[in-house]
Amino acid sequence: MKSLNRREFMKGSIGTAATFAALSQGKAYAANNKVVMGVMGLGGRGTFLAEKFAQRPDTEIAYLCDANTRRFARAREAVEEAQNRKPKLVQDFRRILDDRNVDVLINATPDHWHGLGTIMACQAGKDVFVEKPLAHNIWEGRKMVEAARKYKRVVQVGMQSRSAPYVHKARQYIQSGKLGDVYLVRVFNMMQHRMQKDSPGQPVPEGFDYDMWCGPAPKRPYNPSRRWINQWEYSCGPIAGDAVHQLDLARYLINDIPYPKTVSHAGGVNSLRDGREIPDTQLATFEYGRLTLLMEAALWTPYMKKTPSGIRESDQFPNWPFSSTKVEILGTEGFMYFGRHGGGWEVYNAQGELAHSEYGRQADKEHQDNFLDCIRTRRRPNADVEMGHLSVLLCHLANISYRVGNQRLVFDPQTESFTNCDQANKYLKRKYRRPWVVPDKV
Amino acid sequence: MMLYRVLMSMGIAVMCCRCSYSGPPSKWLEISNVKVRQEQTELGGPKIIIEYDIKDPNISSASPAYVFVRYSKDFGSNWQLVPMGSLEGNGFDIVARPGHKQVVWWGTGQTSFVDLSQVEVRVRGIRMVRIPAGKFVRKSLPAGGRDESKNAKPNSDLALFYIAKYETTISMYTNYLNEIGGEGAGWNQRMTDSDRCGIIRHNNYTYSVQPGRENYPITYISWYDATNFLQWCGLRLPTEAEWEKAVRGGNYLDGDEAKKHPNPMPERRYPWGDKAPNADGVYRCNYDGQDDGFANTAPVGSFDKFSSPYGVCDLAGNVAEWSLDWYSTSYHAGLDGFRMVRGGSWMAVPAACDAITGATQLPLKESSIMGFRGAKGLRRSR
Repeated sequence: MKSLNRREFMKGSIGTAATFAALSQGKAYAANNKVVMGVMGLGGRGTFLAEKFAQRPDTEIAYLCDANTRRFARAREAVEEAQNRKPKLVQDFRRILDDRNVDVLINATPDHWHGLGTIMACQAGKDVFVEKPLAHNIWEGRKMVEAARKYKRVVQVGMQSRSAPYVHKARQYIQSGKLGDVYLVRVFNMMQHRMQKDSPGQPVPEGFDYDMWCGPAPKRPYNPSRRWINQWEYSCGPIAGDAVHQLDLARYLINDIPYPKTVSHAGGVNSLRDGREIPDTQLATFEYGRLTLLMEAALWTPYMKKTPSGIRESDQFPNWPFSSTKVEILGTEGFMYFGRHGGGWEVYNAQGELAHSEYGRQADKEHQDNFLDCIRTRRRPNADVEMGHLSVLLCHLANISYRVGNQRLVFDPQTESFTNCDQANKYLKRKYRRPWVVPDKV
Repeated sequence: MMLYRVLMSMGIAVMCCRCSYSGPPSKWLEISNVKVRQEQTELGGPKIIIEYDIKDPNISSASPAYVFVRYSKDFGSNWQLVPMGSLEGNGFDIVARPGHKQVVWWGTGQTSFVDLSQVEVRVRGIRMVRIPAGKFVRKSLPAGGRDESKNAKPNSDLALFYIAKYETTISMYTNYLNEIGGEGAGWNQRMTDSDRCGIIRHNNYTYSVQPGRENYPITYISWYDATNFLQWCGLRLPTEAEWEKAVRGGNYLDGDEAKKHPNPMPERRYPWGDKAPNADGVYRCNYDGQDDGFANTAPVGSFDKFSSPYGVCDLAGNVAEWSLDWYSTSYHAGLDGFRMVRGGSWMAVPAACDAITGATQLPLKESSIMGFRGAKGLRRSR
């Protein structure tokens, strides 16, 4: 680590993490300083991020953390290969936060750990790259924003398409008025999931700190056959976890509209009736005054396909009718097909003729570039925590509408709560399991 | 007309013609005295007769050889696998007894060569282990890959299959590279790492093994590289179910037809039983650290005392192994994505070297902790 002297100086002169954060936020990173990172959560995405950041010349992965030690090897091997240095392997992410040589926490845990992991990192003076969906619940998302602001931390959300040039061009195109007035945006998230086969509970495997894995969520009997992503206590749901990309892009394309006035939901567990809690079919309508945002999502549509990687990295468009992750933007003069993660976009005019098109590319690297640039400049990143909050909020609204019997709910942006349903307000915040409690005052 | 020729064969001809090399069991099985001749038949056209000796006394029905034949009709430039369906005799596919073997290849019509002087033939053998048909206790959750029906259930009742006793070695893979030629296909620069792999590529696209690394498992191998190698042999990767049964054994070790030898530990955690890989100061496989004697990979079979009930070595530790199965998660459904890798590795914690631990990897991933072994079965069983 080339910036040891600076950090050693900081260690010797700063008492609390909060003070450290306040003082360090304005520091200028020298060009040859490596940003030191710890990765929390070593599933597929966490391992991917660890490897990608380790491959960069301006970053170093100092820690790999997972409650399950069985996950160490795959990530460690990738990181060691990339940076030619072994990271420390820990089960408790607080060891990363305690290390003042670490600048950044990459949080790629399951949904239920996004909030507290990020807030604690902010309190410890770390900048954060947190995977989507930002927060397990609406209240927690707001606390994450508050923590980032209070401790002056850069918190980038893993909604990487926000850093893609073709996305910016699409926004500019819409802003230019070439689609006319936009009154309707349709977001799709049509996937193919499998049925869970419920098996009896199992003993917690050796080397797995299950208590830590559960963290703020209830410590249910260990049963890997019940996927966490299908349980409210641990997840926003498989649709939310993926559709949030398109919802975020839809918001971005129409000038980051903040809050809908109402939400209505239809759907339920219609196809995958395996005892799961979270719907496999979600149709949500968000009313923003004269603009309506529709989300159509399901987990039982095998003919709908995500954009293949070959298309994401080349001058091609998805097969729009069967694109499972498209956004359709309908204006009074034109219609836009938009594809996430490099899918590009095409516009058709009133005569049904192709009026404009732009190919796209995935933007993982650009998103990382932006994060690191913001760490140095202290600017807000492309997918700032507040954008993450406002985008996943749509998922929460849809879920809550479902949980109160598909009621139409009226949302108050000032209080971030519902004005017409007390029962719905009970879902704004989770119960936290001690000691893993998000405080009211972060 | 009879043409008669003593043929060179990689592994075998080297052994019979050039030296008295006695390869370790983890390489190709020793095959010697390969002779090939062509005979005309009265009604069926010409036939090729391949004879060879396979003397390894350890070959048995429980641990047979898998023998495959490859040929070139352009003086060694291009090679092809002789289809098993074109062969007759006692010396191809699963060979359960040592001795003199004869194989008749009714392939002259297929291959269009006119006379045998054009042809080179190579005969190779891999030591396999027989896994009898029957049920086993499956504890891992199926990866869910290609679970397009949404209702597929994990299979715990498998047909007879065979699995390689050892992980594929560097020397075997190097031999393959030299035969397939091409401009570097199947090889990548990281394979030169002398601690973690050890294959050198020369300017003319020939390959050699770094001395001493012959019997280490091949690493830095993508899923595609692994499947290409196995297709070259006429084998395939094991499914997850097959891999797990190879670790734990069936409910009856002699299979559900015989049912004479119940598995004493059908729910065992590791190939050898339930004891941790490092319990009682005994090191039973190659996992993270050097306490087991190996900082990186170990030569295959180094822990043969701790093999599975059927005698399959290194299922625990050393290198994690590609399986045939795909993985589909909630997020990746619809994409041709991850494959499942089973078993721990030299970089894994001891507990990860058990029968149920799996990991996902993209099929293009080339890693120092991943290798593979071959399998052969009547049908694929997830």
